[in-house]
Amino acid sequence: MKSRSRTVLAGAGLTAAMLLLAACGGGGDAGSDAAGGQVRLTYVSYGGSGQDAQIKAFQEPYTAAHPNVTFVNSSPADVAQVKAQVTSGVVQWDVVSVAPAAATQHCGKLFEKLNLGDLNTKDFVPNAIGECYVGNFGNASPFAYNADKFPDPATAPKTLADFFDTAKFPGKRGVITNLQNGILEYPLLAEGVAPDKLYPLDVDRALNKWATIRKDTLFAPNVGALQQAAASGQVDMFLLSDSRLIALLNEKKNIKIVWDTTVVSVNALAVPLGSKNKETAQDFLRSLVQPGPVAKITEMLGTVPVNLNAKPNLTDNGKAVEVYGPGNTGKTVVQDIEWYSQHWDEVTTKLNNWLVS
Amino acid sequence: MSSNKIRWPSWPLLVPALALLAGILLVPLADTLIRSVSTPGWTLSNYSNLFTDGVTLTVLWRTAVTAATVTAAALLIGYPYAYLMTRVSPRARGILLVIVLIPFWTSVMARNFAWIIILQDGGPVQSLFEFFGADDVVFYGTTVGVTIAMTQVMLPFMVLPLFSTLGAIDRRLLLAARGLGSSPTAAFWKVYWPLSRSGVMAGVILVFTLSLGFYVTPALLGSPQESLVAQLLAQRTTLLLDFAAAGALGILVLVVTLVLVAWANRMGGTMSAIGVVAAGRTEGRR
Repeated sequence: MKSRSRTVLAGAGLTAAMLLLAACGGGGDAGSDAAGGQVRLTYVSYGGSGQDAQIKAFQEPYTAAHPNVTFVNSSPADVAQVKAQVTSGVVQWDVVSVAPAAATQHCGKLFEKLNLGDLNTKDFVPNAIGECYVGNFGNASPFAYNADKFPDPATAPKTLADFFDTAKFPGKRGVITNLQNGILEYPLLAEGVAPDKLYPLDVDRALNKWATIRKDTLFAPNVGALQQAAASGQVDMFLLSDSRLIALLNEKKNIKIVWDTTVVSVNALAVPLGSKNKETAQDFLRSLVQPGPVAKITEMLGTVPVNLNAKPNLTDNGKAVEVYGPGNTGKTVVQDIEWYSQHWDEVTTKLNNWLVS
Repeated sequence: MSSNKIRWPSWPLLVPALALLAGILLVPLADTLIRSVSTPGWTLSNYSNLFTDGVTLTVLWRTAVTAATVTAAALLIGYPYAYLMTRVSPRARGILLVIVLIPFWTSVMARNFAWIIILQDGGPVQSLFEFFGADDVVFYGTTVGVTIAMTQVMLPFMVLPLFSTLGAIDRRLLLAARGLGSSPTAAFWKVYWPLSRSGVMAGVILVFTLSLGFYVTPALLGSPQESLVAQLLAQRTTLLLDFAAAGALGILVLVVTLVLVAWANRMGGTMSAIGVVAAGRTEGRR
């Protein structure tokens, strides 16, 4: 009996192992239909508080104005998924978060060309409106440091060159490996490349600069990882996006921002090629870059407003990281989407090959 | 064991399983294989690139070394543990089993985040080392940290098959060995260890092959310099949208894994590994 119950237990254990393996798959989500004037837009972003804010700032006002349009939210957004859906001919997503460079690179191939009507690009920050995307918000990733580590303002880091100077400023650095957060721009700016001479980017030079402080740098795979590392004091200086800096400031972390040159990138929404609700999706995209929704998303996330007419009502911490606000005493560079879209594969491969070896 | 052959009248029972496997495994796998040799045009360039890009081989080697280290560590910890499980009272055995299974039933994400907190700079593990005078011991973002966390995650896959095999070993054989004048060490190596080898190989194969495909732990605990092959795959799929190159890499990993399993099978009769439970049950009934 004894050994019998033992083997039963072991059998249960192995069954659990199999179940665990089987549970590694993902889940699908509902498609959309346009029957009876009702439209369900499937909206795919990166989840979490960012997507919650987009629901409140973009989707709820749109549904209020167009009661026949409802939204199905899903995450995470993933261009590979878009490609899989487009190539298999089963397009389930209608609006998807995407890097504008990727939307431009695959414009007309994976993403619908958009007809945005009367939008005037003069009302927007550079690169906010593209042929295949609209910017839903921008992100600045200013140089910030932990003021507990450098308490004396006189001897604290003041320039991007200081970020790369571990002899003068010992301490751990943190950067996000995503191209959108300026990993290739900052080392060149630190070397004194003029902001308007950045593009075409000298990728090798940028990586060589990182190589000089590689052992002192945390290369975080995503924004959340760097935010976590900054919050727990794992990194002393970091290039973290504005919305996450606000979160840290709200947690009363002693963080100071160095307004040298700051890299700004645009986050975008696009419509996968073959979406059954293209017209509605397009109209929705047009609605969300109007001053009202833009101001609202800026207030909620602390991101950069893409519409220059938006008048967000910022908190003190929001003002502290506001890249287009009076606090920014330095310069600003907006990422060159055109250049990135033409060199995306090459730059991505180069950066990742450098990172993994 | 020899009477376990499938009798033909019962083959319809296999249909659902085979249909499921064909649908979710064979068809996509064939699709991946075909795409990897047919994009762009019929070519093996996706495969030759793997050997010439200077990165894939480095990462593959790193993956193999990490997986081997994790397997060795899991075996070193798991074997005595499984042995202990066979020697204690049923109640204690139940407790030991639950100790193995609770982390097993806990979300992988939760466990990995827990490891971040434990291993990070200023975390408990580092403080412990500092207490003993060893400053600057860094685990977070290093291969050591990744290996420790992976070992913990993998331990159940080692302990369960080992326990099943060790529990089935007839201990009177050891008594006989001692009675014939063997020392305890010799009795272990000459009698117990060979009898336990199928369980060892089962655990080793399970842990090693699962470790080869690990994604979450190195992604969360390691730095990009410790990327394993799964991260390379993810990058090729999600950033470059190069499904053909990713497919080629996946097929290469699959082939390497199958070769290793076949080799291990020759070494230790592993296919019975998958059937250790059945073997254990037969022994138990006797």
